[in-house]
Amino acid sequence: MKCMSHEQNPVIDWGQQRTWSEVAVGDTLPPLRFPLTVYRMVMAAGANRDFNAIHHNTAHAQSTGAPEMYANVMFLQGMWERTVREYIGLAGTLHAIRGFRMRSFNTAGDTVVVQGRVERKWIDEGADAAQRHRLELQVWSENRHGVSVGPGTVVVSLPA
Amino acid sequence: MAAPDTDWQAAWQPLVARVGEDFGSAETFHGADAIDPSAVRRYLEVLEFDCPLHTDAAVARAHGHAAPTVPSTSLMTWTLPPMWSPGQPPIFSSDTRDAEPERSPLKGVRPPGMPPTSAYMATDYEVDYLRPVQVGDRLARRGNRLVRCQPKATQVGRGAFTTWEYEIVDQHAEVVARCRFSMYHYNPHAAA
Repeated sequence: MKCMSHEQNPVIDWGQQRTWSEVAVGDTLPPLRFPLTVYRMVMAAGANRDFNAIHHNTAHAQSTGAPEMYANVMFLQGMWERTVREYIGLAGTLHAIRGFRMRSFNTAGDTVVVQGRVERKWIDEGADAAQRHRLELQVWSENRHGVSVGPGTVVVSLPA
Repeated sequence: MAAPDTDWQAAWQPLVARVGEDFGSAETFHGADAIDPSAVRRYLEVLEFDCPLHTDAAVARAHGHAAPTVPSTSLMTWTLPPMWSPGQPPIFSSDTRDAEPERSPLKGVRPPGMPPTSAYMATDYEVDYLRPVQVGDRLARRGNRLVRCQPKATQVGRGAFTTWEYEIVDQHAEVVARCRFSMYHYNPHAAA
């Protein structure tokens, strides 16, 4: 059986820039995998300062009804941002995250896979010229139990 | 005799009645520090996120930024007040293995009318990003309007979902993001 966590995420060439004109509704974002370990949970707490013990202490998490320590909101949103940024490149702009709902626990010992799809493409005439070419991306996270976060919407703009 | 099954819901009604009220209008909660490169690096490394906009000043300049930008999703981190500051009483007063600190800004403000709960978790977080935030900025959280309070029993306990709207501002009091954050405050079933 293949272990999800052993699969590698693609290496990004930040010198490449995707443009709005080359994107089509229905295009998919390359999925990214984030194996969750106790070590990584502790790093995440230190990095984003969410020290709630439900995110780094199994016994405490279980006392609150969770099955295991689980990833916090900033860690999970950061996974979405990395996935989206690697798609929109350095010249893209992230405007909004909506519908970011944590439906189930993303626990240590599991792997979160973030996926996305282009849902809508339009020109926002009211925006600054550099940010008019907009995309609405549907993004979600999955773990071994199914969709665990979202599906939500990330609004971005790309160079024309 | 067990309490009526609806007592826990009734306990939330004072807060339900205050939906629409801004509990944070008089205060701005400043982040612990101005944003520095090492803090940004720590945010990135746990994500294995190598976007040079956040680490390379030349790349940031080439894309119109005066300094490296911070990841958009990190803004909440930079608004969190310190856990402890010089002059404050200790927060670690017990050597019980799983003891919680005496105080934590993560728990947020408990408004009058909110019944006691022993556990909480974030459930939803929506953000509109109005402009990029850069290394060197200092952020704060302004306002805290309650827009939803919905008592509900779930798999983990009994409590209520609350949704709060607030702004993130920089050191010039300019709004950089508008946020809508939802939490579930509850008493776990085992302790309910």
